[in-house]
Amino acid sequence: MAIYPSQEWCDEWKDAMNNDPACVETGKNWGLDFPGDFLFEITPGSGLDKTHYMYADIKGGKCLELKMLDSQGDKKPGFYVTGSYGDFKPVVKGEKDFIEGIVRALFIMKGDMGKIMRNAKYIRAMAASISSFKNEYLGE
Amino acid sequence: MPNIDDFIRPKEWVSDFVTDIGKVLREWGKDKYLPVRQNIDEDWKHHKIVEPLLKEVLVDLGINAAFFPYEVGGTDIPDVCTLICILGEEGARIDSGFTVACLCSVWPMLPIILKPHRNMKLLEEFGPKFCGSELYVGCNAMTEPASGADIENVDRMQGRTIQTTAKLDGDQWVINGHKIWPTNSGDTANLYGVVCTTKKGSTDLDDFAFIYVPADAKGVSVGGPYQKAGMAADMNTDIWFDQVRVPQRYRAHGPGDDLKYFKEMITYGNMATAAMCLGVMKNVYEIIKKWTTERIIAGKPLKEHSMVAAALSDIAINIEATSAWIHMYAREVDRPDIYGTNPWDDTLVHKTRGLSTFACKAVEKVCSSAMDYMGSYGYSREFDLEKHWRDSKMLGLWMGGLGLKQMENARYWYELETL
Repeated sequence: MAIYPSQEWCDEWKDAMNNDPACVETGKNWGLDFPGDFLFEITPGSGLDKTHYMYADIKGGKCLELKMLDSQGDKKPGFYVTGSYGDFKPVVKGEKDFIEGIVRALFIMKGDMGKIMRNAKYIRAMAASISSFKNEYLGE
Repeated sequence: MPNIDDFIRPKEWVSDFVTDIGKVLREWGKDKYLPVRQNIDEDWKHHKIVEPLLKEVLVDLGINAAFFPYEVGGTDIPDVCTLICILGEEGARIDSGFTVACLCSVWPMLPIILKPHRNMKLLEEFGPKFCGSELYVGCNAMTEPASGADIENVDRMQGRTIQTTAKLDGDQWVINGHKIWPTNSGDTANLYGVVCTTKKGSTDLDDFAFIYVPADAKGVSVGGPYQKAGMAADMNTDIWFDQVRVPQRYRAHGPGDDLKYFKEMITYGNMATAAMCLGVMKNVYEIIKKWTTERIIAGKPLKEHSMVAAALSDIAINIEATSAWIHMYAREVDRPDIYGTNPWDDTLVHKTRGLSTFACKAVEKVCSSAMDYMGSYGYSREFDLEKHWRDSKMLGLWMGGLGLKQMENARYWYELETL
């Protein structure tokens, strides 16, 4: 089992997204005429010692690249999501809902909200895929 | 410089994400609706302008899908009441008639959508249609020709005036009756949520039934649209049900629960009504602020005259009070785990009647007062105030009207026993 967060975990999530028919189908228009990449900033706590960054390049329902970064660097992603490790963990475990986390401001998402609304089913599918495989967690 | 985003909205309860959803609707309205807003009144009969715009909001912007569970193609956004209030406010700032058409699409579905009483069997049947790529619209068929407010006065009338009947014949409901005024009636809706009684004249609350009827079912017919003073984007007609047969499973829940979740719909209707009043008032604020800043009277801007300033202050106060009240109650509706009251409980049904009353009176006052200071300009179509003035009157007339709203509110606060 991969440790969340790690490059091994990123590889598993990438495979999960690319093998999930719901992600592929509902995401077919995602990122085609706008930047559809995500940068996740996971802030410390609950076993995580420092801020981690995870970059996902997604286009047309396929995750092209998913990797850990040391810093945001010069990335200017279409969507930037920030949250604490303590809040991300239950989402990855499938115990809490990512969309609910955004609506209730546990996670902050910045980006073109019009694109999110027009592709909400894809965001839902992507969020569901995150908990579709088993992991290990820091601090547990 | 203060603007409409500086009025009360508690950030602790309304996240930036939800506010941003509202702003997407705002931007869409600016690009797509405002350029045609002054033509909507002439579109009352055929909705040639309105219907494609309805598709853009309900389908392309995902407003229909926002409320349905993920399993049936929706996005299942939580804190539904807050979301409805934000959408109602932003939408009504553009056009309250159009907004009621949008929100009423999902209104009759709330009894089977909302947690903890989801009816997944029906959602699996209807959800994909509402969440698909084609326009699919709902309509809440409550009011009848002889009995508008009576039907929604459930506590006292107990359903005895409902004339639309549902009789079980084998595994089908046979529905007969006549509804009038429902939003999205005519050719707009694909699915009706119909308030029926299983026994005419009964005061047994178990006989209250809420049954879904596809608009293309045999025996359903509609009249032509009514031409109203305003709210032209909201299509209102008669609907007749003549020996209409639908499967038994199309009843939302069953005896007792249908009424319970109908009352929840009333709570949501009150909240959405208040939110739409707020949206109208915010646009009026924008209009009157611009007017009184640019209009020079006796050598200074109109707003610099003390009498005008007092009226402008009243407009702002009404907006602040309505907004604060809406978000407080929306929180109560969304979080029964904190407040201990369910949205179908009389407490919330009756209290939100008070909010709706306040907001409806406030919007009338605000529109009228703004017109007083714009004079004939406010009364003319090109300044957009008169449309709000005409449209917003309707906000206080539906769902039983102000009389029922006030009576139910007093019923709670004063423990009325005879009214």
